[in-house]
Amino acid sequence: MPDSDVVLYDKLGAVGHLVLNRPKAINAFNIQMRDELYLSLSAANDDPEVRVILISGAGDRGFCAGADLSEFGTAPSQVVARRVRWERDLWGLFMSIRKPLVAAVHGFVIGSGVEITCLCDIRIASDDAVFRMPEAALSLVPAAGGTQTLSRNIGLGESMNMLLANSPMNAQRALSVGLVHRLVSKKSLLDEGFAVAEVLAALDPRSIASAKQTIQTGLDMPIDQGIGLERRETAKLISSR
Amino acid sequence: MADFDPSVTLTRDGRVAIITLNRSEHRNEINVDMTFDLADACLSAQQDDEVWAVLLTGSGDIFCAGTDESELASGWQEASALDRLRVCESVASIDKPVVAALNGDAIDQGLEIALACDLRVASTAASFGLTHLEKGFIPWDGGTQRLPRLIGTSRATEMILSSRILASDEALDLGLVNLVTEPEDVVSRAIELASTIARHGPTANRYIKEAVMKGLDMTLEQGMRLEADLSFLLQSASDRAEGLASFLERRPPTYTGK
Repeated sequence: MPDSDVVLYDKLGAVGHLVLNRPKAINAFNIQMRDELYLSLSAANDDPEVRVILISGAGDRGFCAGADLSEFGTAPSQVVARRVRWERDLWGLFMSIRKPLVAAVHGFVIGSGVEITCLCDIRIASDDAVFRMPEAALSLVPAAGGTQTLSRNIGLGESMNMLLANSPMNAQRALSVGLVHRLVSKKSLLDEGFAVAEVLAALDPRSIASAKQTIQTGLDMPIDQGIGLERRETAKLISSR
Repeated sequence: MADFDPSVTLTRDGRVAIITLNRSEHRNEINVDMTFDLADACLSAQQDDEVWAVLLTGSGDIFCAGTDESELASGWQEASALDRLRVCESVASIDKPVVAALNGDAIDQGLEIALACDLRVASTAASFGLTHLEKGFIPWDGGTQRLPRLIGTSRATEMILSSRILASDEALDLGLVNLVTEPEDVVSRAIELASTIARHGPTANRYIKEAVMKGLDMTLEQGMRLEADLSFLLQSASDRAEGLASFLERRPPTYTGK
């Protein structure tokens, strides 16, 4: 058993706060982090008192330096790796959560760090943040949804530049392309994250869940089906009052 | 054959295949000869295992001003005439990364060709537009589909309906091009970008391009499945082991494409 937590989970009022906590490794994403993040995220999702989930990274250097490559390729085979991926589908869990997910990121936001950010709804960055997708350079394919979520969030041209060319993106550019929604100073990042989370926590959770569901599912449908979904969701909200 | 000047040339710079539209005396306008030559060049770049990235540019100071209308004079009224002049599927079917070096104007079919590439480096002096509606047409080589997917429905609709010509700074703001540089630096900057990409794992590049492009037409969940499966498939490649080893040993990787 690992003796220290690599994901910290704290409840502050209606906000469930998850902290990636391997600061000596710039919170590099490893198997233990995957398992602890899955458990903490599930706990926050299942807890009716938690209305908003906030994710940040410990330490001064960054939110997440990407996958811990020292653990790569330790699965006995591709068949086993694939089975494990879907047995503990952390990224699917992110996508299924109907509570607002807020990311507060700083410093190095690399590879899976960018992908975790993209799986959150509201994304705040400190002005020192640098975003980068180095997978192709390492002969890897992003595996936490980056090839899908980046193009949907920041457009095709910017995505290809990050994914194929490993081009770094600074915080200002990330703001202008919609990778993040607000920039703040590094020292106020967590305060701002909580402030945003608390505004969201004051809203009707059923409406928020319904809005998330309708937007996300609707994007995968032809427009007429999306309009139908929106009407059904509205009717459900009204009848539940 | 001494005076024979091919309408499209194919050269190599390291791992980068360079395809050049080579009819600058006709503003690199697409005619039927070029359609065949460009299709051939694209196929060669696609099939050559030594090529890991492709660069597409124009000779002279124009990238491509559109379609050679003299080709259309006789058959302009027939839809089948356009079939002989379409080139963008040839470009888009290259599964390796393709960088457009927009050394000058990319208008009408010229812009459609640029849209069929993955990344665009443009000259500060270049202009961009799809002006088909002014002639009673619509973009017919992929423009109505690729432009909205690149810059969003709102901006694409405005560009196409108004037949508006954009300068390079606006093209950069809209995300129509990735990078703008002085005219004399466009090709060298684009080769630099293509060479950077060609230093990455070639199979990873191709799988990433496939996951992004195919994923656009899928639900998010289906796209996640495709990405994951390509990522597992890549685990069987020796380049993947080399990528990890080079990272852990803090040295540049030596990929083989295997």
